[in-house]
Amino acid sequence: MSLSVAPGPVTREGTRTGTEASIDSLTAPDIPWNLVIWNDPVNLMSYVSYVFQSYFGYSESKANKLMMEVHKKGRSIVAHGSKEQVERHAVAMHGFGLWATVEKATGGTGGNSGKSGGSGQGKGKRG
Amino acid sequence: MAKAFKYGLKGITGFLEPAERELLRSLIGDVISMLQPAENSSKDPLAALIGLDMDVQEPTDRAVRRLLPNVMKDDDGASLEFRQLTERSLRETKIGALRAAALDLDKDDVVLTADGARHWSMALNDVRLVLAERLDIRDEEDAEHVHLMQDWSQAEDVESYLALVYNFTTWLQESLVQAMLQSLDSRA
Repeated sequence: MSLSVAPGPVTREGTRTGTEASIDSLTAPDIPWNLVIWNDPVNLMSYVSYVFQSYFGYSESKANKLMMEVHKKGRSIVAHGSKEQVERHAVAMHGFGLWATVEKATGGTGGNSGKSGGSGQGKGKRG
Repeated sequence: MAKAFKYGLKGITGFLEPAERELLRSLIGDVISMLQPAENSSKDPLAALIGLDMDVQEPTDRAVRRLLPNVMKDDDGASLEFRQLTERSLRETKIGALRAAALDLDKDDVVLTADGARHWSMALNDVRLVLAERLDIRDEEDAEHVHLMQDWSQAEDVESYLALVYNFTTWLQESLVQAMLQSLDSRA
């Protein structure tokens, strides 16, 4: 959703050097990555919820909602951030034995896009 | 018979019979030996020190692959690169949790701190993932089928024995996680 190529604040003056420009394009700070948890028939629902609560510090209701999404839809985006951040989360999830992958948040594909963080609990909210 | 884990004043406590502890010890030992990195890999001492292992390949054994999955769904190259940077330390994390759980098996009564409980839950989970691969549990239906196997007098072949062991470790992990969730609640 945030693949905009608008240069943003750097245009305020015409004195930008070539070096700065290339750093800007290298870091691409506005392209987030997603941490995806996949369903599998082995991991206990209680355990998955426990991991979401204890590792991410999510509330019981948020952890359970994400866990049910994994269970029913087959996958859920449970966190996003920079590539390094979500990779670190993925290794931690593998440590717990959850099946986790990282992916670039492109929006549009899959059940939920990169918008599901924060207050987003509009769709799929069922007991 | 083992007693379900409970959360109380002493922390998380449980009880296991000697035969059950012996069984868990050997299961944990099996998983540890599957996770032990190959001796000949990464001869470069500096690389080994920082956990880098350029000789690492995607595991061929299904169960090991489930314990150490690819980090990207559709990019084997990037996944392998990431594996070279992280797999060694992930193996060590898992082995650490498994060893910690095995040490707690030396007494009849299991009394766990928060960290100890976390190690136990990780260890039991890895044991179950390996058993599930051996039992060929691919979907919820397979899991249900295995779950029906509850009577030890029916254990007449390797598969039914494995199914019973799987169900025992599932029950044990479920009771542990319920106790851990209670301890999270009481802290909040």
